[in-house]
Amino acid sequence: MKKSVSKAHPIKLRILSYSVFTFAMIAWMTLTANLIIFFIIALHYQQYRPAYITGEEVMEELTQNEQGYVLSDRMQWQLEEKGQWAMLLDGEGKVIWSYAKPAELKDSYSMSDIARMSRWYLKDYPVYLRVYDDRIVVVGTPKLSMWKYNVSFPISWIEYCEHIWYWLLLFDFLWILVLAVIFTRRWSKSREAARIEWIAGISHDIRTPLAVALGYADTLVDGSLLSEEERQQAAVIRHQCLVMKELIEDLNLTSELESSMQALRKERFHPAAMLREVAAGFLDDAEEGTLEIEMDIDRQAEETVLFADRKLLVRALRNLFHNSLRHSEQAGAATVRISLQEEKRFCRIVFSDNGIGYSEEMLCRLNGRRRKQPVQNIRGLGIVCKSVQAHGGKITFGNGEAGGSYCEMRFQKSCCKIRN
Amino acid sequence: MNLYEYRIMIVDDEPELRRMVAGFLKKEGFVQVVTAGSCQEARTVFEREHPHLILMDVMLPDGDGFSLLRKLHEKSEVPVIFLSARDEDENRLVGLGLGADDYVTKPFLPRELILRILAVLKRVYRVRDGAEDQRVIALGDCRIDLRSGVVSRQNVRTETEEIQPPAEVTLTAKEYAILEKLAANRGQIVTIDALCEAVWKDGNYGYENTLIVHIRRLREKIEQDASHPRHLLTVRGLGYKLV
Repeated sequence: MKKSVSKAHPIKLRILSYSVFTFAMIAWMTLTANLIIFFIIALHYQQYRPAYITGEEVMEELTQNEQGYVLSDRMQWQLEEKGQWAMLLDGEGKVIWSYAKPAELKDSYSMSDIARMSRWYLKDYPVYLRVYDDRIVVVGTPKLSMWKYNVSFPISWIEYCEHIWYWLLLFDFLWILVLAVIFTRRWSKSREAARIEWIAGISHDIRTPLAVALGYADTLVDGSLLSEEERQQAAVIRHQCLVMKELIEDLNLTSELESSMQALRKERFHPAAMLREVAAGFLDDAEEGTLEIEMDIDRQAEETVLFADRKLLVRALRNLFHNSLRHSEQAGAATVRISLQEEKRFCRIVFSDNGIGYSEEMLCRLNGRRRKQPVQNIRGLGIVCKSVQAHGGKITFGNGEAGGSYCEMRFQKSCCKIRN
Repeated sequence: MNLYEYRIMIVDDEPELRRMVAGFLKKEGFVQVVTAGSCQEARTVFEREHPHLILMDVMLPDGDGFSLLRKLHEKSEVPVIFLSARDEDENRLVGLGLGADDYVTKPFLPRELILRILAVLKRVYRVRDGAEDQRVIALGDCRIDLRSGVVSRQNVRTETEEIQPPAEVTLTAKEYAILEKLAANRGQIVTIDALCEAVWKDGNYGYENTLIVHIRRLREKIEQDASHPRHLLTVRGLGYKLV
């Protein structure tokens, strides 16, 4: 059987994608930080905004009598305090009243002068104009106190910006959502990885002492030093050591499968051959007459090809076998029936036995109706469930009408043929 | 040299495990067993003792077994069996890619380890320890010499003394391949797929009918009564077994 060409992870591509991602992250974070800082600065504007007197305020305090215009003392004092000056121009551009007007300024202004100063400065004095009937009040602030710039935009552009605004908000929202998800996933992944590493570490530490225990127990069983009874006890120790070995392997596999960290090593193979291989192994190991296996493989199903992790599925099948053998001890000989059928795009494997069947509660847990329940005593079968689900397959457990239990697995079959 | 005369080095940081493995190796009959607890010690012992096979833990206090293997392989092509406390495939692949000869996951049964040691020693040093005998299969009154592919029958005597099959028949290439595969796994079931793989180098099921024909012919040659085989048994739905 040929293994499919399974490409190794292109490590360079991963590094590249990781650095692109990191770059995008940093860029985005910098941009966000800048925007925040800008916003804070904008808030500080209030603190810097000068309380300069406006033309309107001047006009309110400016009264006209026979001698001409008179500004209230209060306003005069205020203007003086802020270093401001003010003047009133008539329709011709002539200065008809002024207060603290700098000497360098003219007494009469042309239309072009007025147009210029309304936009920019008057002899470097920042000035603010306000029109009253045919007069213009000009209020100036000290030189280098204000920065003036004339801003104008096309209306169409403003409309476009208004339009874009919603999309920008939406985009920002989505972007934040995506980043949040990515960060959370990374974080939980690293936590998962740490947990798996921890479990792997523990099982690693248990294995060596267990090897010593198993080794000595085995030596005692085969040796001639002990009495028959003691040898039997040593055999129990050996058996329990082997059970612990299975448990450790299951624990490791469960923790990896649960966090979907277990990378599936997929290859193309005939499930029929796999089923026969596992069954033959168990039949070889079983004592004469304790196990009977019925194989029911469709002619068509012989040709079925699966693209899956063969080792993992073998493991799952072995667990099913172990489970059947364990729960048929009371009944004596176990009969296991394995059938393989092809159904359009799927292949169906049914594993059934004549054992005691599953309890109602067990079925609930196995069939996922009570997911929250801890999977302690269904560890062996838990691996079966997870292995099938990891392949995107469906699994159902149940009890047969005539007693015994069954486990039905459905996998999507591969449409490729195995070529040698 | 006898298989049990080969020198075996055990490298593991757990002294109790070294003692246990050395103990059952000696009990099994291996006379020369040396041990080391670290990479450094392993290199010194290696220089001094020149072992023929190394049992090595993957994780050692002062380095990992893989780099130690690389270093040792610079000097000699000594076969290595890894003993690992981790059953991750990655380690296994790296180990085998480096030229490790086998891999045993802890905990292991002593018998299992000994079988693997013997298999590696036989393969690497091409020891014909009783191998000649294994090339001749005895099935009841029938002897099959796998070297020549000849089946010879002794005392073929039917009660009515009718037509007697020839005393010696030769096997065809396919029959030979089937028998060889079955003999290699004597007492165990060989699946149809494994047989097809062995004979046609193809695990495809399309050969099943042809296989049945070949088995039938093979039985005619090796069984006294091909319809009631006593040695080449059919395991329904799974495959065949040579007992």
